[in-house]
Amino acid sequence: MFGIPILSAILLAPTIAVLLTVLIPGRNHGAIKLVNAVAALITMILSGIVWADYDMAAGGFQFMEEVPWVPDFGIQYLVGVDGFAVVLTMLTALVYLTGVLSMWHLTTETRAKEYFAFMSLLVVGVFGVFVSLDLFAFFFFYEIAVLPMYPLIIIWGSSQREYAGMKLMIFLMGGSALLFPALTALFWVAGGESWSMLEIAKANIDVQTQVFLYPFLYIGFGILAGMFPFHSWSPAGHVAAPTAVSMLHAGVLMKLGAFGILRIAMTLLPEGAQAWMWEFAVLATFNIVYGAFVAMRQTDFKFVIGFSSVSHMGIVLLGLNTLGVDGTNGAVFQMFAHGVMTALFFSSVGFLYEQTHDRDIRNFGGLVRQVPVATAFFICAGLCGIGVPGFASFWAELLVFINAVQVFPVLGILAVAGLIFTAAYMLRVFGKAMFGPVNEKWDHLVEPTPFEIIPRAMLLIVLLGFGLYPKPILDMLAPATQTFLALFN
Amino acid sequence: MPADFLNFLPEATTLIAALVALVVAMASNHGGATWWTALVGSVAVVVTAAMGLTSQGEPFFPGIYKVDAFSQLLKLSLAVGLLVVTLLASKRDGIRQIARGDFPVFLLIATAGMMILVSATELLTFFVALEMSAYALYVLAALGKRGEQGSEAAAKYVVFGGAASGVSLYGLSLIYGATGTTYISAIAGASPEVVTSPIFLVGLFMLLAGLFFKLAVFPFHAWAPDVYEAAPHESVAFIATASKVAAVGVIARVLALAVPDTEVLVTTLLILCVVSMTFGNLAAIAQRDIKRLLAYSTIAHAGYILIGLMTLSHTGMSAAIFYGVIYLAMGLCAFTVVCALGEGGEPVTFDSLAGLHKRSPFLGALLLVGLFGLAGIPPTPGFAGKWFLFAAALEQGHFWLVLIAAINATISLYYYLIVVKAAYTTEAPENSEVQAPGALVAAGALSMALVVYVGLFPGQLWTLAEAAATAIGAR
Repeated sequence: MFGIPILSAILLAPTIAVLLTVLIPGRNHGAIKLVNAVAALITMILSGIVWADYDMAAGGFQFMEEVPWVPDFGIQYLVGVDGFAVVLTMLTALVYLTGVLSMWHLTTETRAKEYFAFMSLLVVGVFGVFVSLDLFAFFFFYEIAVLPMYPLIIIWGSSQREYAGMKLMIFLMGGSALLFPALTALFWVAGGESWSMLEIAKANIDVQTQVFLYPFLYIGFGILAGMFPFHSWSPAGHVAAPTAVSMLHAGVLMKLGAFGILRIAMTLLPEGAQAWMWEFAVLATFNIVYGAFVAMRQTDFKFVIGFSSVSHMGIVLLGLNTLGVDGTNGAVFQMFAHGVMTALFFSSVGFLYEQTHDRDIRNFGGLVRQVPVATAFFICAGLCGIGVPGFASFWAELLVFINAVQVFPVLGILAVAGLIFTAAYMLRVFGKAMFGPVNEKWDHLVEPTPFEIIPRAMLLIVLLGFGLYPKPILDMLAPATQTFLALFN
Repeated sequence: MPADFLNFLPEATTLIAALVALVVAMASNHGGATWWTALVGSVAVVVTAAMGLTSQGEPFFPGIYKVDAFSQLLKLSLAVGLLVVTLLASKRDGIRQIARGDFPVFLLIATAGMMILVSATELLTFFVALEMSAYALYVLAALGKRGEQGSEAAAKYVVFGGAASGVSLYGLSLIYGATGTTYISAIAGASPEVVTSPIFLVGLFMLLAGLFFKLAVFPFHAWAPDVYEAAPHESVAFIATASKVAAVGVIARVLALAVPDTEVLVTTLLILCVVSMTFGNLAAIAQRDIKRLLAYSTIAHAGYILIGLMTLSHTGMSAAIFYGVIYLAMGLCAFTVVCALGEGGEPVTFDSLAGLHKRSPFLGALLLVGLFGLAGIPPTPGFAGKWFLFAAALEQGHFWLVLIAAINATISLYYYLIVVKAAYTTEAPENSEVQAPGALVAAGALSMALVVYVGLFPGQLWTLAEAAATAIGAR
């Protein structure tokens, strides 16, 4: 549209926000926030244009741009989107915008300048991963997305932030350590000419190599997706991180891992994926059931959500491992739905925490009578997490479970049973903190202002909108899923 | 011949600058005049080296001295290192009063030696150049104010360095004995029986041992932590960056020209590489002195660079040269912060970093860029550098080596991050704003600009590195 390289523009908007944020003096925190909000809004509009202009009938990768980067080594800046990437780019823009709006209370004293610089840098990385079609570029952006988490957590975080920040970094970089040899090996086994995924996908990599390399890529990316048994960094990181970072972290960052599995591990090594689907489906089921179990025992709001993320990401991973139409559609749909839902969750909890500096569920009671609007957002996110019809994740979970029961009957049934625990832990939180006897200590709590309602309402509208009318997402995913599954026949 | 002089211009400029600075140092009482002379000289060196980037030829003595894509890329890097360190050394308050004028002179002499070293293609020239730079570095390490500890470190450096040179020289004599020539090109053309003979291999190993000392590869690393800790900051900044580039260069030249694919050599290098990076990274975790920490990180980086060198392939040599060059820029970022904080030559510890982000946002950012570069985080060139090194190793099928190296990179991230944490999360003491001199800020800005530029656009440097690898005959 208008002849502008739109995907590069999406990457450029937060990049410019980073540069301007660095240049604006720290005392001018209003301008800093405005710059970042505008950048977020621009990415949102551009992602909307991409969504609207994507030709679903044609499918495949569109809006392609190619610029040589290290031409003598076959590396190029190659970007393009298919249906998966369109949906996830939209998700990123949405969480970015609402995340900036949720952190509007930061000022010069609380180092707003550095905060927004790191946050926008993280977003550059996330967008970059979703649109990159070159292994070097993909990994370049992947690491950019991961690294700002460390300063964001240790500077602006809460409980045990230094421990959680370091744990997160070591786990994620440990994942990268597995990715490094496998990604560079892909280049050579595919002929050693180009790092472009499109070229590597054309190469005939022998089965033995695929089966050898696949677990390195799956686990390397899986760590970021919170796969069991490498998930323990994730709840700890969620809890320690400030509100918008939790939103971005659970909302989009964990999706990078699942996206890496889909875009690189499974697409480039289809026979490896088939050989390992059982093993990894078992682990994904562990995610679902174990995450829900642990969530039942938590007393901290954020830990409940953290473990619910582990459980919900299990649904994504299980869906991917079915290697079926419904499973793949459901998995990506779940990435989107879970991203919006957790953003809403953390945004609601963050709002409460800023006023109370307390996140212990046992210390609350009857919140619904004290702050009905703020509580309503939390309850809606919870209902979405349970998978109540009318919310987006209902469709996602339904699709995944239908396919999972067909492909892995036992695991599928176990995973569905895991949903019962999800309902149990969520209702337990509702019962204790939202309803139940009123705790007078919190009578002074104030409701969100209209300005604070905006980001939360946006997220809720999206959840409900795609819950009631999921067709736009499913239509967008269909051609991509079709191309993806053609690899397995 | 004028063309010969033009090809020799960067080295000639450095030598002339050194001589002029020497005269100025003798004529004036305070070091300021020498420093200005050296600054003008190093700018001229950078300019001539940049102009000479594409020159080729064998000035004066064919077969002995070669100007090619390889030597010119390294000379430009050395020139940049010289300029940055000269800028860092504007105050020199960690250096004994009497020697403040001499510091820039030795800096220039060391650079001249290294520039000649990377062009030398004959063993004796090679050795003379090696010693020329080494002696200047020994002096630089000994100029500090820190009495006993400084002297001990300097003495250690001289003794270890002398022993390493001796071993190298003996190795050279064995190589000469086996091949009957001191010309590297003739050695490369020697018959397979000769170059696989035990005497030749022993000679080669001994030569490499001396060079590994320069690069601080385990087990030739023992001098590095002590010298880094006790020598003046500015000297360490030079020893830790420029001398490493030169070492990577000459090791690449030796390995590329004179060596067939011998199993025993590759295996030895592989073991040294794994031990070096693992030892360096694990030892670095325990350090509280920033320069000591950087010394152990240097040992680890020597291991990473060996990944490229041990492949003996074209990609591997290019990757090693690429990494050597960017290591210079990234190391200079970190050492600029050390120089700024270590006023009067005081040691820089974690406590000195407290609240750096508030005391000087620029130095905080510089530290972040330098350390993230060393850790291999994009958008710094450390990421591309590691990617190239690992890709080169995979070309030869060293999957497990790359896995070990990548795990090592994760370990190293831990200690880089605790340094960043010290600078970014602790509160600044009262009235502790850092008053960095303008020259130092310029040095930091230059290093940072290089790091960010190459990090975002690694393509040009990679092309140069590949041309360099081709020039030394890497296969």
